Formats: sequence, C-alpha cells, structure tokens
Amino acid sequence: MKLRKYTIKMVALGAVLFGASACHDLLDEPKENTSFTEETDYTKTEDMILPLIGAYAEFNSRGWEDFPLMSVRGDDVNAGGLGDQQDFAEMDKFNYNKDFWMYNSTWQNLYADIFDTHSAMEQIELYKEFASNTAKADQYIAEAKVLRGWLLLQLSRVWGDVFITTSSDPSDLLVLDVASKDEVMQHLSDQMDEALPYLPALRPNERVDIPGGVTKYTALAIKALANQELKNYQGVADATSQIISSGKFSLEADFYNLFKIPGKLSSENLLELQASDFGQSSGDMVYYEFAALGPQGWSPKVKGADGGWGFYEPSLKWIKFMLDRGEETRLETSVLFTDRGIAEIKKDPKYTSLPAWISNTTPSGDVINDFSRAMFSSGKHYLPSDQLTPGRTRYGSNKNMIAIRYAEILLMHAEALVQGASSSAMTADAAVNTVRARAGLSNLSGVTLEQVMDEKFAELGMEWGIRYSDMVRLGKYDELSYEGRSFSEKLTFLPYPQNQVDLLPNLGAAQK
Amino acid sequence: MKKLMFLFCFIFSVTSVFSQQNAITGNVTEASTGEPIPGVSVIIKGTTSGTITDFDGNYTIKAANTDVLVFSFVGLSSKEVAVSNRTVINVQLEESTELVDEVVVVGYGQLKVKDLTSSISTVNSDELQKTPAGQAMQALQGKVAGMQVVSSGAPGDSPTIRVRGIGSYPGSNNEAPLYVVDGMFFDNIDFLNTSDIASISVLKDASAAAIYGVRAANGVVLIETKSGKTNQKSEITYDGYYGMQVAQNVLKMANAEQFTTMAMESGSQTAIDNIYKAMQRYGRSRINPNVPDVNTDWYDEIMRVAPIQNHSLSVAGGSDKATYSLGTSYFGQEGILDMKNEYERFNLRSKVDFKATDWFTIGGNMIFSNATKYSQESSAWSMAYWAVPIMPVYDELNTDAWPTKYASAEHIGYRGGQNPFAAIDYNNRRMKIRKVLANFYAKVDVIPEKLSFKTSYNHNFTSLNNRDVALPYFISTNFKRVDATLTKRSETYSNQIWDNVLTYDDSYGKHKWTVMAGTSYRDEAYDMLTAQGVNFPVDQEEAWYISQSDLANIPTTAVRDGGSRQYGISYFSRISYNFNDRYLVYGTMRADGSSKYQEKWGYFPTVGAGWVVSEENFMEEIDVIDFLKVRASWGRLGNDKIQASDGASTTNVVTTSLGDILYSGTTTASTFSSLKWEVTEETNVGLSSRLFNSRLSVEADYYIRDTENAAIRVKIPSTGSSVLRNVGVIRNSGFELALNWNDEITKDLSYSIGANISTLKNEVRDLYGQPYIDGGSAEFRQRSMVGEPLMAFFGYEVAGVYQNEEQIQADPVAVANNLVPGDFIYRDQNGDNQINDDDRVVLGSYFPNFMYGANLGLNYKNFEFSASLVGQSGNKILNRKRGEVIWTPDLNMDADLAVNRWHGEGTTNSYPSSAALRKGWNQKLSSFFVEDGSFWRIQNIQLAYNLNGKDFFGTKILNTKITFTADRPLTVFNYNGFNPEVANGIDRQTYPIPATYTIGLNVKF
Repeated sequence: MKLRKYTIKMVALGAVLFGASACHDLLDEPKENTSFTEETDYTKTEDMILPLIGAYAEFNSRGWEDFPLMSVRGDDVNAGGLGDQQDFAEMDKFNYNKDFWMYNSTWQNLYADIFDTHSAMEQIELYKEFASNTAKADQYIAEAKVLRGWLLLQLSRVWGDVFITTSSDPSDLLVLDVASKDEVMQHLSDQMDEALPYLPALRPNERVDIPGGVTKYTALAIKALANQELKNYQGVADATSQIISSGKFSLEADFYNLFKIPGKLSSENLLELQASDFGQSSGDMVYYEFAALGPQGWSPKVKGADGGWGFYEPSLKWIKFMLDRGEETRLETSVLFTDRGIAEIKKDPKYTSLPAWISNTTPSGDVINDFSRAMFSSGKHYLPSDQLTPGRTRYGSNKNMIAIRYAEILLMHAEALVQGASSSAMTADAAVNTVRARAGLSNLSGVTLEQVMDEKFAELGMEWGIRYSDMVRLGKYDELSYEGRSFSEKLTFLPYPQNQVDLLPNLGAAQK
Repeated sequence: MKKLMFLFCFIFSVTSVFSQQNAITGNVTEASTGEPIPGVSVIIKGTTSGTITDFDGNYTIKAANTDVLVFSFVGLSSKEVAVSNRTVINVQLEESTELVDEVVVVGYGQLKVKDLTSSISTVNSDELQKTPAGQAMQALQGKVAGMQVVSSGAPGDSPTIRVRGIGSYPGSNNEAPLYVVDGMFFDNIDFLNTSDIASISVLKDASAAAIYGVRAANGVVLIETKSGKTNQKSEITYDGYYGMQVAQNVLKMANAEQFTTMAMESGSQTAIDNIYKAMQRYGRSRINPNVPDVNTDWYDEIMRVAPIQNHSLSVAGGSDKATYSLGTSYFGQEGILDMKNEYERFNLRSKVDFKATDWFTIGGNMIFSNATKYSQESSAWSMAYWAVPIMPVYDELNTDAWPTKYASAEHIGYRGGQNPFAAIDYNNRRMKIRKVLANFYAKVDVIPEKLSFKTSYNHNFTSLNNRDVALPYFISTNFKRVDATLTKRSETYSNQIWDNVLTYDDSYGKHKWTVMAGTSYRDEAYDMLTAQGVNFPVDQEEAWYISQSDLANIPTTAVRDGGSRQYGISYFSRISYNFNDRYLVYGTMRADGSSKYQEKWGYFPTVGAGWVVSEENFMEEIDVIDFLKVRASWGRLGNDKIQASDGASTTNVVTTSLGDILYSGTTTASTFSSLKWEVTEETNVGLSSRLFNSRLSVEADYYIRDTENAAIRVKIPSTGSSVLRNVGVIRNSGFELALNWNDEITKDLSYSIGANISTLKNEVRDLYGQPYIDGGSAEFRQRSMVGEPLMAFFGYEVAGVYQNEEQIQADPVAVANNLVPGDFIYRDQNGDNQINDDDRVVLGSYFPNFMYGANLGLNYKNFEFSASLVGQSGNKILNRKRGEVIWTPDLNMDADLAVNRWHGEGTTNSYPSSAALRKGWNQKLSSFFVEDGSFWRIQNIQLAYNLNGKDFFGTKILNTKITFTADRPLTVFNYNGFNPEVANGIDRQTYPIPATYTIGLNVKF
C-alpha cells in the first residue's frame, strides 16, 4: 500500500519534470509578426518591383519642413509665418542656428530616404540573380539610383559638403569623411551616366508599370543639374540637348493649371512627388503637406476647405520684378494676394496703380483674407477649393508637387549656351522664347545671360530654391542682399545640424 | 446571526474523531482582555485530528488521558496542555511577541524573517487600505526605503515604480519591477483591488530577487491575495469609502493683462496685432482699456471636483482541512478633467485550499477583474496651458461653429484654434479591461513535513477592447474635424506559467536547512487587431461600430494586426542553511531560457550570509539589543523586459500613390537589433536589529547594483531612427535606513513613529568605448555620459541676463551673436570666449538622489490616528511646457514667467525678456528650462473611530470602524508646474495629482 503510494508520487513527479524540459526547442521560435528579409523568396521575381515601389513611397512622402528649408533663402521668397518659427525667418535672413529643429529634421528626412534607395537597390540585386529578365532588374536599380540622386543633390545644395553614401548601412557614416560639394556633384553626374543605359526612353507619364516613374530623361535632368552646379556648362548643354531632342516634352499650355489637378503627370514634368486621394471622398490618402505654404486666412469658394499656415511668402522684390516686366500669367499663377499685401505694393510710388486683375480673389474664386503672418502666399503650391475632391478638405490634397519640369530644362539649356557651351538641339533664343511664349510674352533675340536669368527668375520663382542656387553659383550676392538682408559667400551653406554633429564626429571636424 | 455563524463554522470544521476517548470541554480566552476567542484550533499533538472553538470560545474534543492538546490562533502564542485525566480544560492565550517567527514569502516558498540574508520590505493590508486609490501600489509611496513611486493622477493609470533606481535604459516599461501575484507574473497590478491583497513584499536586492532570474533585474514585488486560515471562524468584512478629489497646486497661468504685456514687449507685430484683434472681437476691459475684455483661466474651466469610491465585501475562514477566502469589490473613480474620464472596476475572487488526504493538498485561486476606463484626452492639459487667456470659452459671434459655439484663437490671428474644449468634448475613449487570473496547484508531501512537491499552473488571460471615437465639429477653418472616425482595437494576452517545485526541509542537531529545486515553463502570447471606420451615425452611441460606418471608404492602411509569442524555460534551486540560529548561509541559482533574444540561455546565481550577533554569548550582557543580525549578499539578475530583438534585417510594407493608383511596396531596414541578456549584478550589505524590548526596529542596507550589457537605444546617424544595442554599464548605488519605534504608554494609549530614508546615485560607468550616447529629442537633449547619470539633461548653463548695452559691447559673445539686453548670458565652460556646442554641460538628472518617508500612529481608546509624509530631492524636471515655445510663440505661458520677465535693467538676472523668449539663442536647452523637482508632501492623514461592541439603541454593534482620510492634502515644491511627480522628468502634459478626502466604513461580523 505504502509502496504503491510512493510509486504513484514518483511517477507523477518524474513525468512532470520530464514534461517541463521537453519544450526546449520552443526557445528557437522567431519573433512573431515580422517579415525577415532573409526569408524573402528572391526566386519570386515578380516581387522584384516591391523594393522599388518602397523607394518611391519614401521619396513621395516628404516632411513639410524639407521644401521651405531648401527654398526660403532666395530673393524670390520670404519666410512668412511672422512671429512663429523665428529661426526659420532668421534663416531667410541668413542668421543660422544649427540647433533649430528644421535643419536636423530635413537632414534626417533626406538621408533616411537615401538609405532606403540603397536598400531597394540591394534587394533588387538579390532578385536579379534569379530573374529571367535581368534588364528589368537593372532598370529598377537605375530608377532607385535616380531617386537617390535627386535627394543627394538637394542635400548638397543646402549643406555643401556632405556624405556620399555607399550602402544602406547608416553606420558607414561613422567612418566616412564628407565629400566636397564638387565631388558630390561629379558623383551624381557619374551615377546618372551609370543609370542611363538601363532606363526607358519614355516620358514619365508614358510609363504604364509605374505611372510618373523615373525615365532616362529624369536621369539626364539630374545630370544637367549636377553639372550646372559644377559650372560644367557643356555638360549641362549635352544633357539638356538629349532631353530636348527626344521631342517627348512640351510645355503645358495652361500655366495656371500646370500647378493644379490638370497638371498631374503633365507632359511637361520630368519628376513629381505624387499624391492622391484616389478620387474617394474619404479613406486612403497620400498627400504632400501644402498647408505649410498656403495662406493662413481665406474664404474658400467651397466652404469648409482648410487654409494653410502661411510659411511661404513671395517677396515684394519678386512681385515688383514681375510687375515691371508686365507679367500677368506667371504672376497671377505664382502669387496669392491679400488686400494688405496689395496695399503694401502700392505704398511704393512706382506701383500706385496696379492692373485690375491683381486682387485678393484668385482666378478660381477663392478669397484670400488678410492675415498678419504674411502678405502673400504661394500660388504654385495652391489648389483651388473647387478642385478638391468633394468630401476632402485638406489644403492642396490630391495635388502633386512638381520636382523637375521641362521649362527648367529649357532655361538651363539656354544658360549653358550663353555661358559658352554649344548644342545643335536648340538655340538659347529658341529655348527662352518657348518659355516666354507660354507666358504670353514676346520673343527675344540674342539673349544675354542676364535675360536668361531674369527669365528663370520669372518662370521658376518659389520653386526648390532654384533662384538661390543660381545666384550663389553666379556670385550675385547683391541680389540676395535684398530687403535689408546682407549676404556673403560664407553664408552659402547651412551649418550642419548640431544633433548630427554630436552623432558623427567627422561632421564636427568638417564644420571646423 | 450567531447561529448562522455557528453553522458556517460547523460546515467547515470537518472533524473526524473515532477512537474511544474521553470527551473534554473547555473555553479559550485572550489573556489580556479575557474575551473568548472563536476559531482557535485545538489539535491533539502528533495527529491531525482536532476541532475549533465556537463563537463563545467553547470547544469539545475527544482525547486520551495521555494526549497533549495544542491550542493555536493567529497572532497569539500557541499553548500545549497535557490532558492528565481532566475533562475540563480552560486556556488563556497570550499575544505573540516573538516577531522573529514571522515568515515572509520569498518566491517559490517562504522563509522566516530571522533567517533572511537579503533585503525585503513587506507592507500588509491594513497599511494599504489607508490610501484611497484604485491602484494598490500607490499606497506604497514613502513606505519602502529605496522604492520610488511616481503617482499618476489619471483614473485607472498605474503609478511608475522604481526599485533602487533604474538599471535599464528607459523605454517600453522595461524599468518596471516584476509583479508576482500568487505565483503569476504581471507587468502591473492595476487590476487588483487593494482589498484583495493580504500583503505586498518588495524584494529589493539581488539576493532576494534572483530566484526570479531573468525577470528580476528591476526588483520583484510579491503580492499575496487574501486567503483563509485553518481553523478560523468565518469572518465577513465590508470595507468601503466615498470621497472627493480636488485638484491641488493648480499652476497659475498668465492672465489677460500679463499676457498682453508679454505680447506688447515681444517685438513681434503679429503678436501685437493679435491683441488688437481680440479687443475688436471681445471689447476692451473697463479696468484696463489696453487689455481685451476677456480673462479666461483655462485650468479653472477644464477641471472639476470628482468622486472616488470603493466597496468590498469578503468572507474568509477555514477548518483544519480547508481554507477559503471569497470576495467581491467595486471601485469607481472619476477624473478631475471635466470630460468623460472615469474608471470603474468590478472584481470577484475566490481562493480555496483543501487537504484531500494527509499527503495531498490541492487548491485553486481565481480572480476576475472587469474594468471600464474612459481615458482622458491628455492633450487637454497642454492645450489649457497654452491657450491664450484673451479668448473666451464660448463665442456667440462664431455662428459657423457647430455643435457648440466655442471660441477659436484663429479668429484673433493665431495659427491654431487652441480651445481645449474641442479635445474634451469631441473625443470618447473607452477601454474595457477584463482580466482573469486562474491558479491551481497540487502539493504532495512525499516525506511528511520534510520533502514536498508542488506543481502549480497559472493562467492570466487579459482582454482589452479599445474604442476611440473622434466626433466631428467645426470651430474655425483650421480647427475642425470633418470626418468622424472610430478606431477599434482588440488585444488579448494569454500568459501561462507552469511551476514544479520540490522542497526539502530538515534539521540535524544545530543544523537546519531548506533545499528547494524546481522548473518553470512560461508561454506568453499576445494578439492585436485594429481597424478604423469613418462617418458613422455619431449621435447614437449604439451605432458606434465600424459596420455602421461608410464601408466603401474604410482606410485600408488603418487595418492592422500584431502579435507576439514568447517562451521561457527555467531551472532554479535554493539552499537556506542555519547553524545554531547564529550563522546563516543562503544561495540560489536560476537558469533561464528565453525565445526573446538571440542569446538563449542566461544563468543567475546568488549567495548570501548572515550572522545573528545577538545570539552570541558575549551579547547576553547587552540588554538594550534584543536582536541584531548583520548580513551580506551578492547576486546576478536578468532583465527580459527589453523589447524582443529582431536578430535579422526585416522588411516592412509601405504604400504610395503612383498615377492615382494605390501601390504597395516594401522597405528593408538594414539596421536591426541583436541582443544579449541585460545582466545586473548587485552587492548588498545590511543589518536588522531590534532594541529596547523590541520597541525600536532598525533596518539598514547599502547596495551597489551594476547593469552590464545594458540595452541602450543608440541613434542611427542621419536617419532619425534608433536601435537597441548592448553597449553600457549602469550603476545604481545607495543607502537605505528604516527606523520604527512602537510603544504602549498605558493600556489605552499607544503610539508608533517610523521614518525611512534612502539615497540613490545613478551613474553610467561604461559605454563600450563611446564618449556618450544621445537620447531624448534633438531639441531637448538628454545625454548619457560615462560618470554621469543616465539620460541626463544636457545643455547650456545660464549665467545671467544681459542688462544693458555696455555689457553687450563688452562681451565678444554678445557682439558676435547680435544679442541685446534681455538675452541670456551662457556660461563659457571652456573659456574660449565663444559660446558653442562645447559649452554644453550636464544640467541634472530626473532621478531623485534622496527620498524620505515618515509616519506617525497614535491609538487612544477607540481612536486611531495616523499620518505619513513623503519627499524627495535632487531630481530635475525639464519644464517642456515652457520649452515648447521653440515650436511656436503663439501660446500662453505661466504667470511666474510673465511676471518675472526681464523688462529693463535690474529687473531680473534669471528670466529672459519677452522678445528674448522668441529668439533661438534663448531657446537652446539650458538650465533655465531645467528646474528643481524636489518636493515634500503630507501623504495621508487618517482618523478612525472603533465602535467595538458598543451598545446602540439596545443592540450590540458589530466590530465597526469609521475612518476619515485626507490623502495627499498638501504638497510643497518650487517647480513651476502643476505637479512635481513627473516619471521621466519631462513635463509636457502631466495629470495634476488631486487631494482626496474620504469617509470610510469597515464592518466585520
């Protein structure tokens, strides 16, 4: 009896202890709800497009601060937002604060996406091994390369000497030294040459697999931009000639609507940050934050449409420049006037009488009210309330942000020629006059550098800091020293963000 | 009633007496009072047969003449009486003074307090019940030396608990201690009602906690729920209170006049224009026509006095074979934020232990907790801080607004609408929290009283159902919500633990030992599903379902799920050896396997030794010292609260639009975490003593705790993201002292005084070659540097304020930076005559380096009075509410800042001018924004009156106690905020901690 009792106890005990130790292999279970990259089936080559779409997704989603930071220092535009984001306004006046959050944030936004494009290239490379059509893999890699090129170009324009990344691993930066701006631009030009053979000779809007995606001409455009920064004008002329000679691109006839819904994937555009509400009144939406650039107070034609934040104000200098030229199409498209702003223009005895079309009502019927943050807002970044998809109210939603357009290509081409380069694709006069014609202006002949730059100022004002880069490149510091500002060469680039200097000692060394 | 009671006793006192013996009767009374004691166990020595006394203290038992009867009752000394041919044996039991025989739970068993070689603090239910709070841990504030409790005022939210500093880089709750409720592991115990708890023990040092190995690095808190006792008469207890919470130390904000002055001095035309716009819209004040005729005190508008109540009913008792404890409780608390902000919890519990045979015991314990929490909209607090005082709550001119005509700051020129009532009125956040803790065990006595085996299975099932409703409204163009959104989120946690423990207890001569060995298997599963609907019928709450929403437009990207599954296997063992009650040796070893990290196994040993000096012969002469033990211990612990590491590169799905088509793509992160165990090593030395006839007790400890391979969030350069890496060594060290004095002056008057202090030094010892690791946000930098506290605030030191132009001209720094009077002078730390990033220094840490608590108890006749006090010093708080002026200066500020601003030479040398406040130079993180967080507080005052056995209108009143409590009635601090209790030291929107006044009733029958 007693023995039996013991036996039961011991057997139970043994079973329990054995049972507990039988589950050791459970410790090797991987983390749940995670897709491990190493488990990706690279033989499924139809998935090869996924990393590329991922790169486009990162490229399309930009922080609102990126664009104003890149663009605000030109004489075409002021900080606006008076009394708020004071260091943004200070930056507009060339007083830099490396502790200011926008510097760090923009730096991170751009570099994070650059690493993502590297990662996409690396992933596609792995698919390529199994791809029956390696040309497709090469094309995708080339596309990611072009996206990376645009991002790195923006970084170097703002900060000058920056890191040239080589892989998707950010820790590479810890041992890397910054490259000079010229090295960066030469690198970009070379990168585009590498990408070119693999890219389709299409207009972005002709692409079916990735509508609006990168093509050969996007790469050529970035190559031209990089060479322009290098003042290698023949390089600019060669790249732009190829774009022009393709005959693929034309200027959108309706300049006003180029920057609205009808201008989405226009035949003028070589690169766009794409947005969409998919035609639905609610639900999924991919948007670019235009609100930062919009007017703070308005009475929209369609009630309930959101206003903006007022952080981007076309300068009086630019408006007067346009008035002097008798511009209507481009001025009306580029500037949203307020009554206060109009009154401010009229304070100058030269402009006491203004054309009747200058009013605080936009051509689309939205009324811009006075607000104390700014006198004007950007028209190129404004979407009329009647173009919003019914049900949507977010300012500028469903509108694309144009990154590179054909008008810029034409004017780069013209400038390169007047700077001494040669091309058989198109003359400088023809390039400038094509742009002028759309703006309703008469032809010029024998254009000078000054005329080309004025045309650029008029055509591309408020876009991507193009004006600032041009003036810096041409050493026209007096142009940047406007409305009380004082610019000098040492102010060309922003100081590195303190947060990055703390993380990357080499950056600190480069700064000093 | 008496009969009913007797019936209860009868049912549960299963007696089995068969042998031919004499019937013995008698009565048991308490020696000091002469009152009869019901429920005393009367057992024949050496057998298991016996009985218990009835309600009048009488018993009947059959026993042989040679038998010895053992009388025992909790809290009283046991007495053995030989039968010796008697048939009537009356016994008086005396109060037990032998505190040394107290036992304490130590994890997978218990030990005698006098045998401990480690540092354990226990707080019992009487002490816990004094604090009217939904969370039992709140009651521990100031009670346990070395434990920091940071309260949260929001209903249903748990306080932050830190045992002996933090050894782990703060993140996803990985600094919190492990809670073990009757054997089950928990991250917090907010589902328990204070009245469910019998005791809370804090295992502070490694030696005590190491038996929990991998989970123990941040300390272990053991919770025993209430259980019945053998041979105890049934006791029915009602315990309840009702009270009110009143906001304390409400921060004074700048009023309309002060705000206007600040705006006028700001130098910003926009700020000035906005004042005029407010005057145009709302008129000019008649008292001061230069100020708008509005003066809104936003805090006053959004707060209310809110009720709090708790009611619990429980029954406990036991026979010699079975014990039981059952109870139910209700807790309800409304928040002091004037919105649907409340917490209600209904609990049921039952615990039954049954001795099935003389070698087999089985038991079960079940706690069901059903709570509903309506969360606050926390942004209301910061909005109330920032909303300008020159705007009213309601604005009749705002005719476009619906459903309520709230005012919007947009109408007077500001960018945002600011009115906190949008957040308060148009959000509804409901969380249903249901938790079941089930726990069953079987215990086999393999060799009676010596070798036993216990297997226990615990299951904690938690279901969280969250419903977040954002209602549509329009106040102004950019202050509206067009689409009503409804977010539902269901989460379940299913955690299981299966423990098997073998315990061997024996002695030989002067040697006594307990040896324990066991295994534990853990399985933790988590599941989550969330989805969002838009545009559902907002006016009917019954239609707040995704199925009732606009189904064609459910955002696909808002549908998400998640889950995790983790396994753990552990082997552990403990030896506790005692020689002659003088020399104590203790050791445990635990091996833990976890699926969470790439390194699967961790080993956690500990050793301890104690010397009971007072047992030595040479101590006999010293009468003052009743008991003195010195002890030392060392142990290693693990921390697996660190988030699971991926161990490999992962791929995520992203979506974008290309040609107005929604595309899905993937991004692959090349940086990933691969983690080892975070290991903590701790050495503790201490002493325990009782002096002056045990009236004074002293506990003192000194510890050094090093966390190696600390998983620290390392920023990935240039990307804004970060990754966990084992790259640091963090040391916490400190001294703890607890003193308690008890005395009885007369039979009617007794008192107790207690105090505890603790120091803490938190220091980063090593960063594996890196000079520092940055944390916090880029604008509010927290830096971990070798030799400094973890996550110290890092910035510029303000040396003063420029007073005049001469001073500016004399200082090259001021000239170089275009400074003007009213701007800060920063200390040039390296003396290079310029202020740059090299001049940044550590500005302080959010860890208090000194904490203290004190309590006083007074009993006079039927009155009981108690009071307690807590405090801390040495910690800093980042006043981020002020600091956020860097994002926008559109906002209001606290009155202190407005009144003390620099506004002319000699006005102040520590505050900036209004214009300076808007300048980047003065917005750098500096000592101006980092403030002293010291405070002290009267934690609790309670007055109780006992109506024991009083006659009331001719009937005898039951054991009844009425209490009046004031909880946290007074807090004293200098910090310019609402509340100095900020867990992570960054004050952005802290819930104010209210004072609570309650009246309570406790009835036992």
